[in-house]
Amino acid sequence: MEKITVTINGKVCSGERGDTILNIAAANGIIIPTLCHHYNVKHYGACGICVVEMENSPKLLRACSTVASDGAVYFTESQRVIKVRKIALELLMSDHEGDCRGPCSLNCPAGTDCQGYVKAIAQGDNRHAVEIIKEKIPLPASIGRVCPHPCETACRRAHVEEPISIAFLKYYAADKVLASDDPVIPKPESVSGKTVGVIGGGPGGLTAAYFLSLAGHSVTAYDAMPKMGGMLRYGIPEYRLPKSVLDKEIAEIVSAGVKMENNIKIGTDITLSQLREKHDAVVVAIGAWNNMGLRCKGEDLTGVMGGIEFLRKVALGQPSGIGKSVAIVGGGNTAMDACRTAVRAGAENVYVIYRRTRDEMPAEDIEIDEAIEEGVTFKFLTNPAEIIGENGKVSAVKLQVMELGEPDASGRRSPVPVEGKFETLQVDSVICAIGQKVNVSGFEELELNSRGIISADEHTFATSVPGVFAVGDATNRGASIAIEAIGEANKAAMVIDGYLAGMDTPYRKPYVSERNTEDIDFSRFEKCARTKMPVRPAEERKHDFKEVNLGFSEDAAIAEAKRCLECGCHDYKDCKLIKYANMYDLDADRFAGEKHSCFVEKKLEVIERNQGKCILCNLCVRECKEVAGKGILGLVDRGFKTVIRPEFRDSSVISGCADCLACVDACPTGALKFIGNKK
Amino acid sequence: MRIVVGEGSCGIAAGAHKVYEAIEKLGSGIELGITGCIGMCFLEPIVDIYDKDLLACRLVRVKESDAQTIVQAVKSGDLTQLSGLAITEDDKSFLDKQTRIALRNCGIIDPTDIDQYINAGGYKALEKVLSMTPQAVIDEIKVSGLAGRGGAGFPTWFKWNAARESNGEPKYLICNADEGDPGAFMDRAVIESDPHNLIEGMLIGAYAIGAAEMVVYVRAEYPLAIVRLEKAIEQAREKGYLGKNILGTGFCCDMRIKAGAGAFVCGEETALIESLEGKRGMPRLKPPFPAQCGYNDQPSNINNVETFANVAWIIQNGGEKFAAMGTKDSKGTKVFALTGKIKRGGLVEVPMGMTIRDIIYDIGGGIRGDRKCKAVQLGGPSGGCVPYDKFDTVIDYKALAATGAIMGSGGMVVMDDTTCMVGMAKFFLDFTAKESCGKCVHCRIGTKRLLEILDRITKGEGKDGDIELLEELCDGVKSGALCGLGQTAPNPVLSTIRYFRDEYEAHIKEKRCPVGECRDLLTYTIEKEKCRGCTLCAKKCPAKAISGEVKKPHEIDKEVCIKCGQCVTLCRFGAISVR
Repeated sequence: MEKITVTINGKVCSGERGDTILNIAAANGIIIPTLCHHYNVKHYGACGICVVEMENSPKLLRACSTVASDGAVYFTESQRVIKVRKIALELLMSDHEGDCRGPCSLNCPAGTDCQGYVKAIAQGDNRHAVEIIKEKIPLPASIGRVCPHPCETACRRAHVEEPISIAFLKYYAADKVLASDDPVIPKPESVSGKTVGVIGGGPGGLTAAYFLSLAGHSVTAYDAMPKMGGMLRYGIPEYRLPKSVLDKEIAEIVSAGVKMENNIKIGTDITLSQLREKHDAVVVAIGAWNNMGLRCKGEDLTGVMGGIEFLRKVALGQPSGIGKSVAIVGGGNTAMDACRTAVRAGAENVYVIYRRTRDEMPAEDIEIDEAIEEGVTFKFLTNPAEIIGENGKVSAVKLQVMELGEPDASGRRSPVPVEGKFETLQVDSVICAIGQKVNVSGFEELELNSRGIISADEHTFATSVPGVFAVGDATNRGASIAIEAIGEANKAAMVIDGYLAGMDTPYRKPYVSERNTEDIDFSRFEKCARTKMPVRPAEERKHDFKEVNLGFSEDAAIAEAKRCLECGCHDYKDCKLIKYANMYDLDADRFAGEKHSCFVEKKLEVIERNQGKCILCNLCVRECKEVAGKGILGLVDRGFKTVIRPEFRDSSVISGCADCLACVDACPTGALKFIGNKK
Repeated sequence: MRIVVGEGSCGIAAGAHKVYEAIEKLGSGIELGITGCIGMCFLEPIVDIYDKDLLACRLVRVKESDAQTIVQAVKSGDLTQLSGLAITEDDKSFLDKQTRIALRNCGIIDPTDIDQYINAGGYKALEKVLSMTPQAVIDEIKVSGLAGRGGAGFPTWFKWNAARESNGEPKYLICNADEGDPGAFMDRAVIESDPHNLIEGMLIGAYAIGAAEMVVYVRAEYPLAIVRLEKAIEQAREKGYLGKNILGTGFCCDMRIKAGAGAFVCGEETALIESLEGKRGMPRLKPPFPAQCGYNDQPSNINNVETFANVAWIIQNGGEKFAAMGTKDSKGTKVFALTGKIKRGGLVEVPMGMTIRDIIYDIGGGIRGDRKCKAVQLGGPSGGCVPYDKFDTVIDYKALAATGAIMGSGGMVVMDDTTCMVGMAKFFLDFTAKESCGKCVHCRIGTKRLLEILDRITKGEGKDGDIELLEELCDGVKSGALCGLGQTAPNPVLSTIRYFRDEYEAHIKEKRCPVGECRDLLTYTIEKEKCRGCTLCAKKCPAKAISGEVKKPHEIDKEVCIKCGQCVTLCRFGAISVR
């Protein structure tokens, strides 16, 4: 074969005469993207993604089919090329009907592949489920127990009857694997020689430490408390998360390479700058450990304490000093943890004081229900006006009676005092669970935002001090749920890994295709009730700190996992369309308009064709004709209405399918799916 | 004397064949014949009376009921009694500024009679060519400067030469008669009116490239053209102009017709080839070009009907004589289908270099109702508009391209001041979006999105930035589309934005259609001072949108009004205003 020389992106490349630009570029390590070209069929030229620019040529060339000319100069990533590619991708996405990922994953702050692990559980493969979870969450058994599961809030199964019990499935699989002799403990693949110090051993800090360690860095986690776990240990009561479970998971993080040092307080034992000098990078994940005050008369009296302070004391086995009657102020999960812990700590009269009604309570329903079962009294539409003391100690709380007024910015009806209406509750202590603050002492050199919280960049997690990053409750928006901190830590680990390699790799939310839930017909799904978590009876459980939940049985877990509608695309990880869409920074909505007919063809027996995800690259048609020699599929209709159907709409041709799957293999998107062998 | 009725499709549609039958019935003994289309659509049906070979009288807008008068006049030999039907001097001038080469026999000879073509000098060029070398033929075409009349204007000799030099047997010569531009009918007229001219031109091409098989791909919507061409092929075979050993020279070449199923994109040469091969009509990637790998993967040459219609003339009269007409870059003549808001619409053939103004005003007689001319759309849905102030632009490939329009295949749609240019662009986009084959992304989805944006603009739902979005998308579609259809589809949008951006802005920013054509943007109101309360509009309003008491001013409920305009037509007091 005669050799020719061309210049591609300034690089001199040699190739054989008669070969295409695409092939010569590939042979020289330059990848030109294409959606409709596949090496084993004739070129087609539909997608327009492979266009390249040739010097002195007014027209763009399709690299898949254009034979390279000797001495020619090509550009595969010029501005013009990128513009045309980008428009092609924007047009394709504007006409795409499919979910890249399920709403569960998209709504999970950590982006956990919920659908993936639920499916693994359905298939009885718990270990694989844990592998999937651990790609995002290093503490699956703990988080599975305590997470308020935004995934379930988004779950589309709710439109059929109830969402999948995703969090408890995670807890189920993780427990099974923890109890097995084959735990999931990934090891770093390489050693970078860099060290990272992580301040804070809560869910955020541990996650950052875990992923940075797996990335090959030497990581030490520091914590002021005697043991690691942060709020998971000192904020979440034992009856919800047994510390033995947490201990095992922390041990696995140690096995993954993270070194841990406890009882180290920044500013006292070591300064932030000393730590910064000691490590190539520092992650600040100190959480929000201070209570918001009640701001009413009497709040300095003995017997008034914060919710997390109370929970921490109980966790540490210290006397709580709540007495026989206790009032807990607040309506969130911390208030629930506090009231139920108070019951277990021996209080006889436990009141929850909440200024709105149950409907407005931010706490999870199940927590409220279980608290009521355990004998907690809810005083809705009341607010502490004054804490009354005797000899400097709480004796009663005077409550202002409230009523609901107009909805506020959050959409909840705001409470307004009913003038002159009060009641008094005789109590020994008042626990205030109305919010948390960050204690920034020791971190004074970091820039804070207007709320006194550490400022960290949304995309890079960088603080005002170079090399110091911050995540979780201590940053930006303040206290939130554990999975939020885990999500941030996970992303920050990637950014810091890049930083340690000398690169600037800010986190960008990946672009995905999403369907409108309103467009989906849920009536075709058979109803199947959500599996309930078995719990210990209230009379029994209220006297001890043993775990309330009993866990799913294997049958129950598999049945529950099988309810999943599998909204997300099976091909998300291999889809070329979404890969390119993210490469070219789309503005996907600007061409939003009518979409082509989006049916799912199931006549093909072993293959399911989803026309909504089809980009009409015609590869399936061509593979079937040119490779399989069959010609079962064909294009029908014209223009925007074009779809792929059995050739000539003749369903009888389908019987000729040899199940070779050439079509499925070549499909650049998730339009084709193998659904099983012929019976 | 001889009576000849113009029976092109347009004439027949206007009633020409009924006139023919009426004359036939009444006028036994009178010599009666037909001819094709003379191009004066606005005067159809046309009846010509010949005295020997001279046109003695041309009668226009003839009705069946005129047959008696015509027969009487011809029988008596006194044609003065027909003066009421005769063409006016003014209308005669329609032909004055034209130069007819491709259309030279159209409307003159009987297309169903090969002898009339031969008597007019037909097949002489073929005889001449058969004594020349193929290379000499190509050289002669090169001298003439003939370029593809289908729209792209590629030099004909170059394509012929490429096909000739290409290795592979057999070679094919294909005629593209899949004339799909809305409002264009040049090719139809040539086939219906002078089919032998096409056959002869193709035979010369086939001889030049070395093809033994010729195919005419003609759209099935042209039944009369197909019938006449079939007959002409038969006659040519009988006379030895087609088939084996043509005119005893050993040259063998035959011809067949392939009726296309009506897809616009099949006018694109590679899609045409796919369709010829029995596949779905979708374009192929070029290269390879048809000259190397065309029909059945063999070297093939494809030219448009009008291109072939010039060939015999060029051979007969010499390439230099053809090249003497026109401009530096564009030689010979060009046929246009003149339509729209023009007084004298029809088929015209003019030398290259004539100004648009001369065609519209001197040949076309100006704008109907003497309204103000706004622009002319050239090249159909692939072309662009030339605004009135650029009417001194001459017919020349480069000069027209510089305005943003194209020569195209010859569609020339004239627009007056009542035409909304956004609506016009939307009309053409609607056409191309529907005719997109669906193969490439930029055309399949891009034209659809362009149409959606134009649609929202004409409905008053346009957004800030829509013009820029249109421009960017147009640019993307032009650069990214696979074939000519997609690459040119944005032209009507780009050229209307270029010249009439203010109209787009009025639609988007003021939610107003400056010419009042976009129905969704109109508001109908009753002027209280003028309304007499006659109740007529209220009674007739199909949407029941008008209410009021007798003898008191009425009102239109804007929410209910469907803007049909019925009230405006009905109101005797001019009380209804439309804004």
